[in-house]
Amino acid sequence: MTAATPTAPSTSLADNPFFVLGIATDASRIEVEREAQKLLGMLELGFADAAIYATPLGPRARTAEGVRAAVAALRDPQRRLVAELWARHAPPPRHAAAPPREPGPAVRAGLRRALGWRP
Amino acid sequence: MADTPLYVGIDLGTTNSAAAVFDGERVNVVRNAQGATVTPSVVRLDKQGRVTVGTRARRYLEQDPTNTAAEFKRLMGTGKPIEFPAAATTRRPEELSAEILKALRQDIADQLSVTIERAVISVPALFELPQSAATSEAARLAGFARVELLQEPIASALAAGWRADGDGAGSWLVFDLGGGTFDASLLETRDGLLRVVGHDGDNFLGGRDFDWAITEHLASQLAHVPRRNAPEHAGALRALRMAAEDAKIELSRGDKAQVALAQPLLIDGQEVEVDLELDRATVERLCTPLVDRAIDVCVRLLAAHGLGTGQLARLVMVGGPTVMPMVRARVAARLEAGIAEGHDPMTLVAQGAALYAATAALDGRAVQVAVPAGRQVWLQYPAVSSDLTPHVVGKFIGADPPAKVKLVRADGAWTSAEATVAPDGTWLTSVALIPRRACTFQLEARGAAGELVVVSPSSLTIVQGLTIGDPPLSRTLGVALANGHVQTYLERGAPLPARRTFTHHTIETVAKGSSDSVLRIPIVQGELSQAHLCRLVGTLDIGGDAVVDTVPTGAAVEVTIELDRGGRLSARALVPAIGQMFEHVAQLLVPEAAPEGLEASLRDLRRQLADLRTDAFRHGLGQVIEKLDRLESRLAEAERDIDAAHGGDADAAQRARRALLDVDGTMAEADLARKWPELDEQARHAAISASSIVGMYGTEAERALLQDVMTAMDKARRDKDPAELERQMRLANRLSNAAYNRTPEAWEFYFEEAASEVSRCRDLPRAQRLVTEGKVAIDRDDNAELRRVVKALWQLLPENSDARKKGFDSGVR
Repeated sequence: MTAATPTAPSTSLADNPFFVLGIATDASRIEVEREAQKLLGMLELGFADAAIYATPLGPRARTAEGVRAAVAALRDPQRRLVAELWARHAPPPRHAAAPPREPGPAVRAGLRRALGWRP
Repeated sequence: MADTPLYVGIDLGTTNSAAAVFDGERVNVVRNAQGATVTPSVVRLDKQGRVTVGTRARRYLEQDPTNTAAEFKRLMGTGKPIEFPAAATTRRPEELSAEILKALRQDIADQLSVTIERAVISVPALFELPQSAATSEAARLAGFARVELLQEPIASALAAGWRADGDGAGSWLVFDLGGGTFDASLLETRDGLLRVVGHDGDNFLGGRDFDWAITEHLASQLAHVPRRNAPEHAGALRALRMAAEDAKIELSRGDKAQVALAQPLLIDGQEVEVDLELDRATVERLCTPLVDRAIDVCVRLLAAHGLGTGQLARLVMVGGPTVMPMVRARVAARLEAGIAEGHDPMTLVAQGAALYAATAALDGRAVQVAVPAGRQVWLQYPAVSSDLTPHVVGKFIGADPPAKVKLVRADGAWTSAEATVAPDGTWLTSVALIPRRACTFQLEARGAAGELVVVSPSSLTIVQGLTIGDPPLSRTLGVALANGHVQTYLERGAPLPARRTFTHHTIETVAKGSSDSVLRIPIVQGELSQAHLCRLVGTLDIGGDAVVDTVPTGAAVEVTIELDRGGRLSARALVPAIGQMFEHVAQLLVPEAAPEGLEASLRDLRRQLADLRTDAFRHGLGQVIEKLDRLESRLAEAERDIDAAHGGDADAAQRARRALLDVDGTMAEADLARKWPELDEQARHAAISASSIVGMYGTEAERALLQDVMTAMDKARRDKDPAELERQMRLANRLSNAAYNRTPEAWEFYFEEAASEVSRCRDLPRAQRLVTEGKVAIDRDDNAELRRVVKALWQLLPENSDARKKGFDSGVR
């Protein structure tokens, strides 16, 4: 059952640290910390501007936990690389063309079993 | 002084404790009544129930051991009462720790004439949640209104880094050899920010092992040899051990020491005189294997982060045993790094905790109730900042706020730009700090006509210096599920405080009014995805007698797990179907460890280990063999501890319990080796399939990520590292799943699969209805509805009872 249960769709776009903090992907380490410190203060005091952030999937609610998690992610060089990658290649998802209905017979043979799904 | 904040840090150690205070400029170690900077963590209760703490209590360890307790920190969180026969009473470990904290609190009051209510207390990096909870409880009992807990290696790093010259980037290592544990932490400083790159350690290696090695050597030279597994020899061994400890300290300076006891030891009814000579070379020979074990951990930690010996900028030594010249010389030589001088290994942790209290804006002084004079303003700013130009955010309370605000630095050399106050009273500006100094700023507010407005508070202070972000969670936390797996809530390294909510579903009905019917939500900590290999740290039980209405099978339960900055756990479960919230987390205790049970586990693990070794040899898995070799020595240590547990040593029993659990976890990883050919084949298929699916349906970012995963998979295959290969395979599958699930076809497939098992479902009529609804959804091409139906069907499929047992009888999926 567990093996067949698919994982939730990735949220790497909605909670991407760069979007959460509203900074560019080339922001320096100090800029990251400074922005986070400012946002945490603004959230604590209930600044309306700080409550929402923009993502390619539409606006999202910004929380203190989210800001702290974003800074922690950007402190780690490897996690930052992944976050940069997602942020740079952010697709315009709402208007993306629907994927083709059928993957085609060649791919389907044995494919599900290989992925751990039951035959 | 009255206006200067006072930040307090306490190192509540296994053997010794210390306190330090930071006033924004300097860190000072607090001296106790005897004038010493460290206070032995020893508590004595006499016949009248009077409590003696520290050096005075330590003197009784030999004379009156049954009424004098030491090393109780190791029993924190076990709830095991410690007996004091003279006073005919017992105390819990946290009550004894509270006595130490009270003494330190009094020392601060005596030295600085302030009452302290808030402090930062350090805890070992690998403390489990019950142990952290017990530490917080000890602080509460000692009269602290609020404490935050900080991991010891972070504290030492902060203290060592604070005084480091310049901001030179580089990696450095904290070598923390305490009384009972060894911690190695790899850190990095850049731009005034401290980052913990990685941890490793040995929970079963410390100064006491040095003492035992010396004690056993001394014992072997006696006419009649006392044994550790004989309870009747415990007194003799204790006396010998204290003499060994003193001799070890003496040999840190001199070349020879005399080990002579005033009273002869009584062993099996015979009096045995102790008058032996010990030299430095012998002690070094006895301790070298133990030091090398610690160094091996460091080398492993460096290698795990792509570093070799000779690449460290700095080496910081912490803990009593690191005072030994042999330890310092050997570590420096083998790691090819210079030791940072000028740090006191005994108080560095307390100093770091005090610095951290400033970072957390935890002023230790009792709150003074001040009558606000002037317009009230709420301020948000970092109490310590590595940034030279941090932001200050403010909000005036009440209607009609001032129009402008600016900040003037107390030295008069700098003034901020004037910030405009928004109609809701909010404003934002930034300030300029002086490197490594505490800067005070006056707030200057003006009304619309330019008139000066008096505000309260009228000033703020920010210290410029090294900072560390939020403390990271030391072990992954999650909920055990009925299928034996773990739903991860908070990953190791997640910044604290943290909170996360997931929705689960009940697998059984909780009948209203029935006390037998309980829904159990086990909370576990550990890095492995199988629940039985993690540690159960608490359960949230929802009993039939507590529910306002019957909770049906498949009902949603929204579980929220929350950890505060100090790592204290709270959890709650909301059952929307009955509109009820449950919050009581029970069983936050380290489990009991009976020697008989431990022995049975040891035998079992030995058998499994032998099987695994045979397999690993057969498949030529070098890395796995290496891992198993380490386990063998861990099991030998556990066996010695179980022996000592038979002699009544509860601490040794706990050590053995944890060692066996760790070994079990590592073996589960190694067990994957058995399946290497199968795993290798699976991984190849997963790679091929993931390329096709992600190539076809994936986003650009998913394709790029898959590339990384493929590279890592190749490496894991070359290294024959099954755990890593399985991890990468899971990632590849996740990427494929994410891509594949975007297609409507995916849900049709899941539907067909679930529908084929409908006869096994718990609520058959409902399952059949769902199948009909699913078919309609497919005809209508309604993918959202199909998805809902599939998920509902999954909820009705039964769980395997063995798996459930391994999931600590979890009642949710």
